Amino acid sequence: MTAYLQVTRLDHRFGGLHALQDCSFTIAQGRVTCLVGPNGAGKTTIFNVITGFLQPDEGSVAFRDRALDRLRPQAIVRAGIARTFQNLRLFTDLTALDNVMIGIAGQFGEEPVGAIFRPLHTARAQMRRRREALATLDHVGLADRANEVVRNLSYGEQKLLTVARVLATGAELLLLDEPASGLSAGALDAVMALLRRLQDEGKTLLVVEHNTRVVQQIADEVLFLHQGHLMAQGTPERIISDPALAEIYFGGAL
Amino acid sequence: MDFLYSYIVLAAIYVLLGLSTNLLVGIAGIFSVSQAAVFGVGAYLVAHFMMAADPLSFLPSLAIAAACCIALNILVTLPSLRVSGDYFVVTSFGIQLLATAVFTNWAQGTGGANGLPGIPPPDVFGLPIETTAQYMLLCAATSALGCLCFFLIMRAPFGRLLRAIREDETAVAAAGKNVLRAKVSAAALAGAFAGTAGGLYATFLSFIDPSSFDLDASILLLTMVVVGGARTLAGSIIGPFLLLALPQVLTLVEIPTTIAAAARQLIYGVLLIVFMLFRPQGLAGERL
Repeated sequence: MTAYLQVTRLDHRFGGLHALQDCSFTIAQGRVTCLVGPNGAGKTTIFNVITGFLQPDEGSVAFRDRALDRLRPQAIVRAGIARTFQNLRLFTDLTALDNVMIGIAGQFGEEPVGAIFRPLHTARAQMRRRREALATLDHVGLADRANEVVRNLSYGEQKLLTVARVLATGAELLLLDEPASGLSAGALDAVMALLRRLQDEGKTLLVVEHNTRVVQQIADEVLFLHQGHLMAQGTPERIISDPALAEIYFGGAL
Repeated sequence: MDFLYSYIVLAAIYVLLGLSTNLLVGIAGIFSVSQAAVFGVGAYLVAHFMMAADPLSFLPSLAIAAACCIALNILVTLPSLRVSGDYFVVTSFGIQLLATAVFTNWAQGTGGANGLPGIPPPDVFGLPIETTAQYMLLCAATSALGCLCFFLIMRAPFGRLLRAIREDETAVAAAGKNVLRAKVSAAALAGAFAGTAGGLYATFLSFIDPSSFDLDASILLLTMVVVGGARTLAGSIIGPFLLLALPQVLTLVEIPTTIAAAARQLIYGVLLIVFMLFRPQGLAGERL
């Protein structure tokens, strides 16, 4: 069986810091894989490499047997992989709907010539895209907030919106950077329900998450990363119950 | 009456420049302080083609000048893809100084500091534009066309994309969009506006010199956008009309002509500071 996403022998240094060391793993289609590990383990660095924001010193990434090496971030999104950011990076001056519409690929009027010389076609195409974007917002439960400027949304709503934006790109593999961190209990339930829905719809998720309860609830598979190296891979029960890993994760007894 | 017409001609030309500056600075967040240099290149090119030994008529001259300004503006905006924010302001500042140096010292091409007199009046499809009223119609029509373009792109996905780029380029790339292409498109459009404005300006005044295209002129454009209002069509129109009325208002005040120019510069400076501090969204815009 060929892997859906294959990460092979990634190695990267930031100056003296060895952020990724010979890191390899595979991800299966339609599964929720959680990437866990202590701070500085290289989780976000892996996201940056897979999504083309960082060129690794060594190693390669292949998606559906296609090498992603040296592709620009936007090309990787078109190939079917989209990500969220730990610090959200929403367009806070735009409305929730506009944030989602930025994610929709291949819009007419996205360059000036079409926008100026075919205004009616642009407007009609926009109306269709608007409906698509509204459906996506509805999917994450933000339909009633569509025309709200993002900076007026609550943190939980903003987190849901980051997922809506990656969904709008049409990507099949979603890389979610700490989707559940910093949320109130109610907002956390909404995010968890959304993640389960995405899985039911056949999306493949790679999730960086610190909350072990969340990991136990959503993960099919857990990758344990330490000092830029893959320490262990397995079911959430096995990884969480491993005393050696817990020692690394939570630190030794003082 | 001619006086009012002249004011409207100049204001209409500066509306085009305001659109150009607003598109780059206000909407795409490319903080250019060298739009007057592109304006100048447009003016000198149109003058050059219309005064050549084998002269071109106005519209072809304007078309070539606009095309050159598109290329030039893409070129001078490209550093913004490498260096971001504050660093680009310094780069752009250097480009403006470089342009002023060329305008002032390349005597053969630009007439140097003495300027270039005797630029012939334009004609549009064989119809000569001679009276100020005709000029006013030409400039008002051109700037209305510019405003229409601005309006159309702002309501299109392209406008949304530029606004998103101003906020967070990384997030735009992560959403699958080509930031480079959008910035180049914005620069091209801004170059076309500035070049066209230059051609209208040169033929209207029939005389151009480097002082119209120096750093002060670039800062005047920024002041127009700040006072009028960044990121809106209304702001790009209100700013030029208001600030160009200022010298006329000053003539009503009893100040010696020798310090009038300095007083104007002073007032522009004060306006810039006051608006930035107390009303950063300008009269009809959004926060810069």
